[in-house]
Amino acid sequence: MVDILFALRYYFFYPSFFAVIIFPGLIFTTIILLLTIWFERKVAARVQMRVGPLYVSKRTGGILQLIADAIRLVFSEIIIPVGVNPTLYVLAPVFVIAFTFIPMTLIPFSAIPKTGSLLSPYFNIFYDYEIGKGVFVGYFVPYNMVLILGLASIVPIFILLQAWATNNRFAIVGAVREALLAVSYDVLLVMSIAAVAIEYHTLDIAKVVESGIPGIVANPLAAIVFLVGMLMGTGKFPFEIVEAESELVVGPSTEYSGFLFVLAMGGGYISTFALSFVFSDVFLGGWLPFTGLPGALWNAIKAILVLWFTVFLRSVYGRYRIDQALRGSWKYMLPVAFASLVLGLVVGWLWIR
Amino acid sequence: MAQQAHPQSILNNVISQVVAKFKVIGKAESDRRGFIQVDKSQILQVAEFLKSLGYDHVKSVTGIDYPDTKEFEVVYHISSYSNIDLAKTILALKTRTKYEDPKVPSLYSIWESVWTGERETYEMLGIIFEGHPDLRRLFLPEDFEGVYPLRKSYKLKTEGLFVDKPS
Amino acid sequence: MLTSQAEYPSGMEVEIVPVEGELNVGPQHPGSGHMRIYVKLNGDIIVDAELDPGYVHRAVEKLSEVRNYMHLIPLVERPAILDSIHMNLGYIMAVEKILGVDVPERALYLRTLAAEVNRIASHLYGTGILAIFLGHSTGFMWGFGDREVWVEVLQALTGARVTNSYIIPGGVRRDLTPAIKEMIEKAIAYQRKKVQDWYKIFVRNPNIRDRLENVGVMSRENAIKWGAVGPNLRASGVYYDVRKIEPYAAYDKVDFEIPVYKEGDAYARLLVRFEEIEQSMRILEQVIKNIPEGNILSDRFFKQIPPTRLKKWWEGQRRIVFPGYYASFRPPKGEAVSRVEAARGELLYYVVSDGSPHPYRLRMITPSYRLIQVFQELAKGSRYADLVAIYGSLDYFPPEADR
Repeated sequence: MVDILFALRYYFFYPSFFAVIIFPGLIFTTIILLLTIWFERKVAARVQMRVGPLYVSKRTGGILQLIADAIRLVFSEIIIPVGVNPTLYVLAPVFVIAFTFIPMTLIPFSAIPKTGSLLSPYFNIFYDYEIGKGVFVGYFVPYNMVLILGLASIVPIFILLQAWATNNRFAIVGAVREALLAVSYDVLLVMSIAAVAIEYHTLDIAKVVESGIPGIVANPLAAIVFLVGMLMGTGKFPFEIVEAESELVVGPSTEYSGFLFVLAMGGGYISTFALSFVFSDVFLGGWLPFTGLPGALWNAIKAILVLWFTVFLRSVYGRYRIDQALRGSWKYMLPVAFASLVLGLVVGWLWIR
Repeated sequence: MAQQAHPQSILNNVISQVVAKFKVIGKAESDRRGFIQVDKSQILQVAEFLKSLGYDHVKSVTGIDYPDTKEFEVVYHISSYSNIDLAKTILALKTRTKYEDPKVPSLYSIWESVWTGERETYEMLGIIFEGHPDLRRLFLPEDFEGVYPLRKSYKLKTEGLFVDKPS
Repeated sequence: MLTSQAEYPSGMEVEIVPVEGELNVGPQHPGSGHMRIYVKLNGDIIVDAELDPGYVHRAVEKLSEVRNYMHLIPLVERPAILDSIHMNLGYIMAVEKILGVDVPERALYLRTLAAEVNRIASHLYGTGILAIFLGHSTGFMWGFGDREVWVEVLQALTGARVTNSYIIPGGVRRDLTPAIKEMIEKAIAYQRKKVQDWYKIFVRNPNIRDRLENVGVMSRENAIKWGAVGPNLRASGVYYDVRKIEPYAAYDKVDFEIPVYKEGDAYARLLVRFEEIEQSMRILEQVIKNIPEGNILSDRFFKQIPPTRLKKWWEGQRRIVFPGYYASFRPPKGEAVSRVEAARGELLYYVVSDGSPHPYRLRMITPSYRLIQVFQELAKGSRYADLVAIYGSLDYFPPEADR
């Protein structure tokens, strides 16, 4: 009897299951997604002299509004237009959301100490030789920086597929904008991560965190470049160009309704969440000074703060034009990214060993 | 409400110049309003002359239907933006044409601001402006091709809520 | 399939496959209002934009031939419901010219008061629409929230928030009470404080400046050639405002300025509108201070109100009940042209009367009507995202153009 309980406990807390599905995996991300949309609407309402979501659950300030919205959208009818390829039409948003979520299985959330934590039984399985401890991650690779960014940059292709499958002019215009932007923001993200990699002499995010120096102190330019690249890549204000509502209805997901619309919309937020985890790991010090599950919680709180900050910008900015965004990223941000590379080289050679 | 125009007013000056040059009928109703009645063969030259005096835009193009005399009347209200004295006045340039020949030369080549007004007068009354670059329907939907609603022959059915004394 | 013929800032042209496409920014679109814009695109540049108005055409001019002069008042003020005091005022001024009626002083001041409150409300609405077109939801919500303050003032004064039917031939319908004066003073204090916040979050926002500077530039010659009106004309360097050129109501007795900018781009138009709000508040303060005592309806009509009704409504609540003359009056034969400066531009009325209770011809030229040509000319050659910026900055209102 005790054996069964012990086996259950072993398999439940196995990081490949726990980190990917429960915390901070699918279920936690979905809850945070709903909370984030609630926060976005509430804070925008407070700035704009309104109240925001209120009536669904009056005493808790309307948090359950999003659950009501999600239930309504899930049970709406999925309309498939006549002139489209039905398989591609249904599969495209599924691919988008799958590929925005896959990078989250590779981001290290916390470190596993040898004893004293719920996760210690897995110390040897997820051992990271660079830091001498275990790593609480879905799947461990020692060069996870490169792999995360590589997987995250496949997403624009599926957005193009989504827009092409809907056979709608506005969606095509949105997809062209996404294609133009994807090239620009990917360069910025990769260059800032490369600067940090050179500075800390490693490709492993866990080592960057465990070295004790948060990236924002060691290379603030890279932090700025990463933040701007993150805003551009996921369609947050002021770069909400792909889904510009007053010009292109909703952009690539114009024709979607019901559950597919939830998937298409959620892709943006999940991608922001994944990138904000990377930001909090690399630049804000990750899970220090805790380890194990409390470390993962601390890390998640930092990532949620970054996510809520980017979502707050909706109430302050309008949106840029596509050519202004491109000019900004190539003419102004690229030199800053080069400067951050140089800074990383210098600091990495002189101080960080 | 017509007050006697000050004999030296600018509008009077302009109208008397036009009347002297082109032999048309013109009158200044007050300091600020006046009209010139021209025949449609002369309208282009009169408009050219008025433009040289400083009138630089057209405020409105109105078409009026007179079924008793079987005529259409086209009224252009012109004024000026750049000349302060002329800006205080509105001059009405009127011309008439018969039902059988509803064609009037377009003033687009002189003042481009007649573009919308002439298009609307064409679609509402059926007056054809020769020389207009783009004479098509503007406001009405497709089933109004060939039907000109603003003519008095197009009757509107209204419900009687209030009884008027017959005029 | 559209591909983009991208031209990078260094002048390098990348020609992929130069293909043109057409887009219907149609009536079912968040960025179009009640009309269709038929756009021919070449990549991201608009080659030709054609306006297709007429979705809300209500045939005001044809209907005016079968209605009485008084019945026309609600009809004529509906095309631009947020600016209805001006539409009302222009029509009544033309009718008064034909009838030959004098308006008492106090009524002139009250007309000015209502017109300026409506101008502020309309400018806030226009700025809100421009903000939402640029994606700035805070500007949109603030525009409508601030407008509430002024619309409440109008409700207290005239009884309705929009489409007030406040102005009648010979004067106005209701009088100003001390409670309303206090309401207006509080509203002015509130709005002055809020305009500072507006400047911080919207007008000086670098994002908004980037979207609006050098967009839809209209030079002075083009503005005159195409017949632009209102703040668009004043932002292109032409000093023209009907309140100064041909003063009506009480505008020759109050002191105000007209902002004129030279650049002619969308940002200048936005700045002109904000400064006009400030000038309108100046006029309101002067009107409240200097308004003379007197009657609010001309004596010629006031004498005709039966004494019993007069006692109940006029002495009790200072409200006018209509005299029997209004039921179906027949003005003498004649015609009149009147113009007012509505919030969006110059509004012109041409009324032809032939002695019957209905007008023979009513011609109404609204400011948005005259902006149809300006919109089409400005949209050519600009980028697709600038279409909505030009639309919002011109403050084009489709129902007003369609009438």
